[in-house]
Amino acid sequence: MAKKKNISVAVRPTAADHGFNIMVTTFMVLLLIILIVPIWSTIALSFRPANYIGSYLEGMFLAPWKWSTAAYRSLLGNQGFLNSFGNSLKILVMGVATALFLTVPMAYALSVKGVPGKKWITIFVMIPYVFDVGVVPTYLLISKLGLVNHLPSVFMPVALSTYNMIIMRQFFEGIPNDLRESAFIDGCNDVQIMFKIILPLSKAIILTIALYYGVSFWNDYMRSLLYLQKSALKPLPLLLRDILIGTSMNDNLEASAFGSAPIEAIKAASVFISAIPMMIAYPFIQKYFTKGTLAGSVKG
Amino acid sequence: MKKTIIVLLVALLAGSFAFAQGAGEAAASTGPMTITMLYSATQTEAGSLPDDWAGYAVLRDKLGIDLQLDMLPSNPNDQDLAIRTRAAADELPDFFTCSREVWADLAKNGQVLDVTDYYDDMPNRCAVMFDQAARNFVTYEGRIYGFATPSAIAGNEGLLVRKDWLDNLGLAAPTTLDELFDVLYAFTYNDPDGNGKNDTYGYGAFVEETVSYEIYPGRRFEPLMGAFGVEGTWDMGADSFGLQIHKDAYYDWMVFFKKCIDAGVIDPNWQSYKKDDFRAAWKQGKFGCFREQNSAYASENNYSPFDANFPNGGFIVVDAPIGPNGDQSVGPLCQGMRVYAISSDVSAEKAAKIVEMFDWMSYGEGYMLCGYGEEGKNYILDADGLPQSDASLGDLGYNQAGGQRYIQLRNCAFNYSNAQEIALRYPGYITKVSQKYMSAGDVLLEMQKKTWTATPGQNSMPAPESTDVTTFYQQGIAEFLNGKRALTPENWKAFVEQFDKIGGLAWEQQGYDFASANGLLQ
Repeated sequence: MAKKKNISVAVRPTAADHGFNIMVTTFMVLLLIILIVPIWSTIALSFRPANYIGSYLEGMFLAPWKWSTAAYRSLLGNQGFLNSFGNSLKILVMGVATALFLTVPMAYALSVKGVPGKKWITIFVMIPYVFDVGVVPTYLLISKLGLVNHLPSVFMPVALSTYNMIIMRQFFEGIPNDLRESAFIDGCNDVQIMFKIILPLSKAIILTIALYYGVSFWNDYMRSLLYLQKSALKPLPLLLRDILIGTSMNDNLEASAFGSAPIEAIKAASVFISAIPMMIAYPFIQKYFTKGTLAGSVKG
Repeated sequence: MKKTIIVLLVALLAGSFAFAQGAGEAAASTGPMTITMLYSATQTEAGSLPDDWAGYAVLRDKLGIDLQLDMLPSNPNDQDLAIRTRAAADELPDFFTCSREVWADLAKNGQVLDVTDYYDDMPNRCAVMFDQAARNFVTYEGRIYGFATPSAIAGNEGLLVRKDWLDNLGLAAPTTLDELFDVLYAFTYNDPDGNGKNDTYGYGAFVEETVSYEIYPGRRFEPLMGAFGVEGTWDMGADSFGLQIHKDAYYDWMVFFKKCIDAGVIDPNWQSYKKDDFRAAWKQGKFGCFREQNSAYASENNYSPFDANFPNGGFIVVDAPIGPNGDQSVGPLCQGMRVYAISSDVSAEKAAKIVEMFDWMSYGEGYMLCGYGEEGKNYILDADGLPQSDASLGDLGYNQAGGQRYIQLRNCAFNYSNAQEIALRYPGYITKVSQKYMSAGDVLLEMQKKTWTATPGQNSMPAPESTDVTTFYQQGIAEFLNGKRALTPENWKAFVEQFDKIGGLAWEQQGYDFASANGLLQ
């Protein structure tokens, strides 16, 4: 039987290929515009001066030398804003550390073959994922635990996310078991295997899950509203809502807490500032992100 | 890897410290009595009352009260959620502010204290705030379960017209509906600002509605609706009670409204504008006639963008136009109320202390501390003994940005009707660009003199039980205005009949029962 020749041929793109590429490029450019417009709109609005005359659309193309930084100066000079920013940072750092401390060991333990009761533990973890007990019972639990008016009340109830734990477990299951067995032979126990073998190979998933947790803690509103009753503990999302709602309600008052800066600019600036930490974090984690989000999607 | 473990341990340690921080209950002591209070701040976004607020020390030293304050969020729905959750967990603060709806549920559940007999212990507050209407507002089954205090100044809005535009076009201020239409038409098509562009409209508005009180198209159109006697949601007359939409004159109003829309004299963005857009639009000279609140128009902070944009511009407050049958009204007038309640869990001794504190907030030293802050820091006294804010106080003056935190308890103090209080809240000033004298207080007094329809208690009337009724109402009217449905007497009659069938009549009956039971019929 004649053997087929393995020939590598450079294929010249057809007109259809060109057309397809143009369509894809056009679609991606449109998508980019759709994503950029609201961001740019917020930025441009945050720099809009008090005496601006023109439509909203025209305002997006206002020359930078006509911008005003009054809104940012007002916000950054406001003690309440700085305090809330600090509270949000504390929640973010403590929350992510606690969440990883709980999620990583559990995901690893459930990824190891032969762990006794593994099935039942998994079911136990799945129950709160499927059934939400509601606001009042959760509030009662948090209250009885003495967590009301403490920052951990924002992240402790969700510090172990079933969804994130399962993604991480799937990733760990994808790591060849031979590595674990070799470490055993070399004298490692389970804890040493997790720290010395598994975690160094799992930077992508750990950073991705940390990002998931970080975004959810940074943006959390409802738990903060319910459990942080002290004004001094108010995190940024609560203050942000106060600014967005309150400034509209209070523009009939004789004085503004933000001086003479335009209300619309204050709102936009507060939205933009609150998004900055996540905007900074994303590029650093981006290189791990794709790999991490694909974890567990393909087995074998 | 050791580093990772250390970082994790340090983070957890930090977390455990966080548990220790915050607001644990103060240890019981024989000192001042601790009172927890959840209040609606003057400006939530300004931040909490500072720890160095002098009122804390006065309360502790003179009244024996250790006041522990927490602010409610700014959004009314969030406020309700916060109170309801705590009520469900049986963890209500000792003293709190809440909406009337939440209060009604708490009163039914026995979670707020019967304070009927405590009113006599507040002679100062009773003298300026608690009339019969206020007591009715928080009465349940014949007993009083809270304190209803004024939440805003009544009659603080008016119809504004660009005076410079009238002058440029050689027009007089309109007094009748026909004259107003002519003015709006000229503002739209005769280049009132003289910039050579067709870029202005006559009337500006946005949809600002409260279903049970000022239903769609809402408050901003009421000076026009008033010309037909159909302003507000209800006619509260004892002999004529009913939903305004059931009046024949409502169809006449719709015809006029449609005529204005078809003529293009109303800024077409009125259906999509939010409050901020609306206010930015008049400050940018988009339209020359609108209903606005006194301070949102004339306070220094709010007027300054308009002043910068139009140094030669200006407004006059005009009375609402007189309609074909002689009707005239800026809108329905009734006093907004804020409810304070005491948790039923507090002891009689603590309840007495709360009442004493509440009275203290309404007069003398307490009133000044809550309403204007600390003397020498947030205000100085003038020769007449009245508080003033001047340059020597810098940013901490009570009417400056930094001073707003010191007057967060203002809602507990102000009665919103006293002439002196109004004058102090709205001091006159010279505008930065045009160098003219402005006073939101003067504007307020002028607005209050205009023709309003007094309907006490209309703002407590019930909304329909089903939101379908409201949606049908709003959509139907919008369809007539947008031309999707021809505005003819037959079509209008069919629409109203259908509205009645899906719940309009039941809502009217519900409203009648409520108004009768609460003495609101006039």
